[in-house]
Amino acid sequence: MTDKDFNLSRRSFIDRVLTATAGAGMATAAPWAVSAASAAAGAEPVKSNPVRLGVIGTGDRGRALIQNIAKSRNCTVVAICDSYAPNLVKAQQWAPTARRFADHREMLDARGIDAVVIATPLDTHAKLCFDAFDAGLHVWCEKAMARTIADCGAMITHAKAAGKILQIGHQRMFHPTYLNALKRARAGEIGTLTQIRASWHRNNAWRRAVPADANDRQINWRLYRDRSAGLMTELATHQLQVGNWFLDAVPTRVIGSGSICFWKDGREVYDHVALIYEYSGGRKLIYTSLLNNARYGCEEQIQGSKGTIEPELGRIYQEVPAKVLALQRMHKDVARGHKRTVPIGGATWFPELPVTTPGESLGWGEYDETMLQFEGFGEAVRAGKPLPGLLRQAYQASVASLLGEQAMDQNQAMTWPTNLVAI
Amino acid sequence: MGIAARVERFVAMGTRIELHVFGVGSEDALVAARRAIEGVDDALTIHRPSPTTALNDELLAGHSVAIDDPVLAEALIAIDAAHALTEGLFDPAADRRFAGAGWGDLVFDRSSARIAATRPLALDFGGFGKGFALDRACAALRDAGVVCACLSAGESSIAVIGEHPLGGGWPFAIPDPSRTDAVLVEVELVDEALSISTTVGAGTQAPERAAMIRPTDGGIVTAARCTVAIDRTGGAAEAMSTALLVADAARARRLLDAAPAQRFLYDLSKAAARTDDTARMQAA
Repeated sequence: MTDKDFNLSRRSFIDRVLTATAGAGMATAAPWAVSAASAAAGAEPVKSNPVRLGVIGTGDRGRALIQNIAKSRNCTVVAICDSYAPNLVKAQQWAPTARRFADHREMLDARGIDAVVIATPLDTHAKLCFDAFDAGLHVWCEKAMARTIADCGAMITHAKAAGKILQIGHQRMFHPTYLNALKRARAGEIGTLTQIRASWHRNNAWRRAVPADANDRQINWRLYRDRSAGLMTELATHQLQVGNWFLDAVPTRVIGSGSICFWKDGREVYDHVALIYEYSGGRKLIYTSLLNNARYGCEEQIQGSKGTIEPELGRIYQEVPAKVLALQRMHKDVARGHKRTVPIGGATWFPELPVTTPGESLGWGEYDETMLQFEGFGEAVRAGKPLPGLLRQAYQASVASLLGEQAMDQNQAMTWPTNLVAI
Repeated sequence: MGIAARVERFVAMGTRIELHVFGVGSEDALVAARRAIEGVDDALTIHRPSPTTALNDELLAGHSVAIDDPVLAEALIAIDAAHALTEGLFDPAADRRFAGAGWGDLVFDRSSARIAATRPLALDFGGFGKGFALDRACAALRDAGVVCACLSAGESSIAVIGEHPLGGGWPFAIPDPSRTDAVLVEVELVDEALSISTTVGAGTQAPERAAMIRPTDGGIVTAARCTVAIDRTGGAAEAMSTALLVADAARARRLLDAAPAQRFLYDLSKAAARTDDTARMQAA
């Protein structure tokens, strides 16, 4: 893509976000996106005095972040850090002038950065955050926040104490399709929201080949319980955030069942999870994730009395109205003195198969929301003021994912914690 | 002043029942009609224990049975008549499990209400039960003073009492089950019943619906057909629409010629043709 093409694409993307967030109530429903898009719309055409970032963790995700940061107008990667040398080498092509470090302490001590980006295994997030705050730096950290609910809260407490920005990566919160979906849901287009069915189904082992110079705990950290809650923290967190966001609440409690059902390869985390998150008023989020069937993929089916939204597919569907029965019409005709032929003989049993109406597009576009996340982060760092509302959403999503793990592990309903850190 | 109207809707006979009563009739008329239909359901169902399943157990065991359930006994009498009316094509004893078995293998003594089978078989009243139930409901409504009513059992079985509330016959249009925007035929009923049978359309996919068996050879009817029959009773109308569905060309011709304004058969395999061309569609 040429610079001109990219500028047009970027402009178009930001315009869509601005349009999606312009509706009534959106300023309170997605204030972070309003703030980030407004700042991005007024950004200078070329980078000047960008926020200097040091990226810790340059595996697949870290390298993807580096590429998105490169697209932003107000951030630049000046340092990269990874304890596994091959990852650093791979990352260098996207940040050729960045200084390289094998140890994050060395990177923090070397100074010359304004903030760190953390894209490391989950169990390391909290410690790295604390060290960054102690070094006087702001932090952008991948979701989920931390391995324990206590550490999630501690990250917030540390950020507050240090007076620094803590932003968590939840790209759907900046995606124009999701924002448009929320806008239309809030406008009542799908009626009263009572249930969300969310799933993330894959058909692979979720296991990576281990190079000769590494060990399995390093490479496949997501499969070890002390390092990750598996599907819950690495995948479900995104969708639980969407659920909380659309239902405008946090769960009251969660029940669930998890198992190592298919990939009996020595992994410690579940390869099948099924949970029900209960919300006030009897509303529910039903979540499943598994690793041996990909037919239903990744989706959130947001179900209301008048319609359904499927944001990953970018579609909104109206409920098909009930059939008007001929005899009911006849009854009304007689009441008003009108006689007409009654169409009769249609089947009164119809298979209750999934409705396959095509629905309507919610709008689609290039997947640049991660770029906008960083532009928002850059503005927050410059202003010394976090994007409003974002951290609360992220914290609640991480807590929900970890609470779900507890419900499955303990085989009992877990109520929403009452001792969470206030934001 | 408008015409007083009452309606009762409920599920029975495996389908949605609607009873629409207009004008006079005692207050408990609808309740009595509902009880009549539910009584038929209880007597004739084969989906839960009933007098019919008890009868089938005995017939399969080769026993002679005295029918002590009055509804079942009345139904068997009506079926005996319908079997004759349809040249044996309506046969609730036809069963793929017992190839060649049929109503002719039963010895039914109306006077003593005894029935016996000369070979193992079982009865499945199918759609006849809906028409028969509507007949019993119509009788209950008439006993309650009702002179104007329209009864529906799943829309494919209709019975009317008297004329339309606004005068004249009750006008009905029978849609093409394979094309929702087309009509096969329009009819008017007065004190009559209507039955529609088809091998195509959404209703034929119902999970509990049994395949239509051709009594002449025990095979499953697969031809794309829709049949319509009008008769004084619902039981007879159901039997005739079923018979037309399974009839070969010669038998179909005879049955249609006997009542051309009340019996219709549509070949829906010619889907590309206009389905309102009823002259062409009716079996030759």
